[in-house]
Amino acid sequence: MHSYREESARLDDALFALIEGWHRGGHDVVDDEFDTLALRVFAYQLRYNEPYARYCASLGVTLDRPPSSWHGIPPLPSAAFKEATIATFDPARAELVFETSGTTQGVGGKHYMERAALYDAALIAGFDRLMLPDHQRLRYFNLVPARAERPQSSLGYMMAQVSAARANGAGFYLRGDALLMDPFLADLSVAIERRTPVCIAATAFALVHLLDAMRERDLFVALPTGSRIMETGGFKGRSRVVERDQLYDELCECFGMPRDAIVAEYGMTELTSQWYDDVLVAKRPDDGVRYKVAPPWLRARVVGPDGTTLPDGTVGAIVHVDLANRSSCLAIQTEDLGVRFERGLVLIGREAGASLRGCSLDAEDLVRR
Amino acid sequence: MTALAEVPAQRIVRAIADAAERFADADFPPRVRLLDRIVERTGYTMPVVEYALDQLFFSITAPALEGAIAAELGSLHALDRFVERTPDTHARAFPLGRVAIVSSRTTIGVAIVPAIFALCAKCDVLVKDREDGLVRAFFAALAQELDPMAEAARAQAWQGESDEVDLRAFDAVAAFGSDAGLARIRERVATHAPFIAFGSKASVGYIGRDALDDATQARILAGDAARDLVLYESEGCLSLHALFVERGGAVAPAQFAEYFAAAVESAAVEFPPGERDARANARIASARNLAAFRAAGGNGSVFSDERASFLAVLDPPASEPPAFLPRALAIRTVDGPSEAAEYLERHAIPVEAMAIAGAREEIVNMACAMGAHRITAFGRLQRPPLANTHGGRPRIAEFVRWVSRDR
Repeated sequence: MHSYREESARLDDALFALIEGWHRGGHDVVDDEFDTLALRVFAYQLRYNEPYARYCASLGVTLDRPPSSWHGIPPLPSAAFKEATIATFDPARAELVFETSGTTQGVGGKHYMERAALYDAALIAGFDRLMLPDHQRLRYFNLVPARAERPQSSLGYMMAQVSAARANGAGFYLRGDALLMDPFLADLSVAIERRTPVCIAATAFALVHLLDAMRERDLFVALPTGSRIMETGGFKGRSRVVERDQLYDELCECFGMPRDAIVAEYGMTELTSQWYDDVLVAKRPDDGVRYKVAPPWLRARVVGPDGTTLPDGTVGAIVHVDLANRSSCLAIQTEDLGVRFERGLVLIGREAGASLRGCSLDAEDLVRR
Repeated sequence: MTALAEVPAQRIVRAIADAAERFADADFPPRVRLLDRIVERTGYTMPVVEYALDQLFFSITAPALEGAIAAELGSLHALDRFVERTPDTHARAFPLGRVAIVSSRTTIGVAIVPAIFALCAKCDVLVKDREDGLVRAFFAALAQELDPMAEAARAQAWQGESDEVDLRAFDAVAAFGSDAGLARIRERVATHAPFIAFGSKASVGYIGRDALDDATQARILAGDAARDLVLYESEGCLSLHALFVERGGAVAPAQFAEYFAAAVESAAVEFPPGERDARANARIASARNLAAFRAAGGNGSVFSDERASFLAVLDPPASEPPAFLPRALAIRTVDGPSEAAEYLERHAIPVEAMAIAGAREEIVNMACAMGAHRITAFGRLQRPPLANTHGGRPRIAEFVRWVSRDR
């Protein structure tokens, strides 16, 4: 029997190899390879992640009765991160700790990661191949929380790492919920003057405020060729929601850029890896649908209420299986809806709230009070 | 002058009761023709729709209408002539004028009750009908009973905030909907006109320890509570959205929860689950799995089935508000009514009705203190008597204008 340290190192070695192989060489991960590694990580988590193991046991899944494939790995509801420490190790040793936003009810959870290097490798590989397939060195305008201000934000960390590794200059332009418009505009002018392509990375909510601020100043600009916007995060818990289509139209108009230069990133604090729209990497013509693709160590199942995988083209809840979640829990169940197609995953109305019919019952009203 | 101004109130009542009696007949062709459309609109199964129509139309009888009117106005005759109100005063209730009733995303036939009372008050009534056309069909039957109803009772569909109907032209507007929807409607109502809003509400249940004396009684209670949960897929303001069960009875709350879960499964035989959209499925499955995660850690219990067709959770954290999901209920163990009150206050649950079991007055007091507009027994939560107030508001009094005449 190997020690925890040895087992973890072996798994990490396998994961780093897989990440590196895809990142540098474009080696995909075939089904068998994914299955084998997923079941290894799962068995490891059953040994070292007690709350998850207890949950799996209650569902009849144990080391003695393992699932036959990655499809059978019990997904942990993402809200469980708010209820227990979901980690294979002593969280005091965590190199990274990210906190969930807590959505509208205000209760947050923590995702402890044992090794920052694993997160960083997965992040940069995914970003390079899906956001920067043209290897552009961009000037980053991060409208996300800066690490210094909100160290627990996974989004802030993500953009700090990307900026450090790939940027031709970068800045953070958000303090609390307030946009730092003057420095943003000053730096943007310089980038435009120098024809340096830029990446504006922002939550949808921040982009709405950016557009408002641009409108107030009656500003329209043409971003240098090769520029892009990375939109993330949606509108959860926010009072002002704008349809994504409308948001993208307005961004294109305001920043003089094509629609396929806007990439929606879909991530969760409970995951290590990220999904991205395939607009920059698609090999097929645009059919008006935004397909999300992920690095090969992250897969999604779309499931029905009984947890079984639904056929492609059917709407259901998304279960992520992220092998890079080695030190927490690899299978995460969300309430996000999606449909799988051969080309990728299509998200459905992430920010739409429940609107129950009633005489007169509106669940959103009731929980908001 | 309104279309019904000269019609005696008793004649109006009789016409409404007769039309309702026809609609209470399951074989009445206009009712039969509506069924599929109501199923399509609501997603409820046919037995639930049939039950809803029965409940609605069987309750609309002449004695029930006259009783409700007399309770609020003193006498049905007050609608026709001056009647003695006090030893010194005679008074007459005139129609307020034109009344609009806006029903949006409601369960079945919710607008019909205020509409018939507004008609009894001799008002002209316009109802924003749903896609199924239930109100329109009922009004057609009314017009067959009494000619002026064709002009007095109208139903039509219109889109959200478009200006197909100018609400400023009405003397009273009753509306059902979400907080945001009601706020938008209120802006369009004339300043002089009463705005009768039925916003988001929930109903809850409380079982005292004295009601859990034996297993037989507890099982009956569980069956009644299950019916209150499953009808209309828990979507109505009279659906059971939270249940408090006291410790200390002969039947422990955990045992009661088992009875309840079994009763919910049984109730599904009579009232099969309706169609759910993917989002509701995702939420209920997620809620079930989270409860299972907690239960695996020794916190509470969860009762459900593979397809999550129902969900009963015993003792989820007090920080968690009701799920407001189809056929999903949290059963919360309490020592007394104050704990229930604390929970309801913590989550600011606006209580429409409270089903109670147990004879202690402190339970009734808690229900009143929590703002419940109706206190009833389990199994009756979703069957409010016609004469009851809705949302604490009178049925007819808001549709009349009193003229008093001193002696």
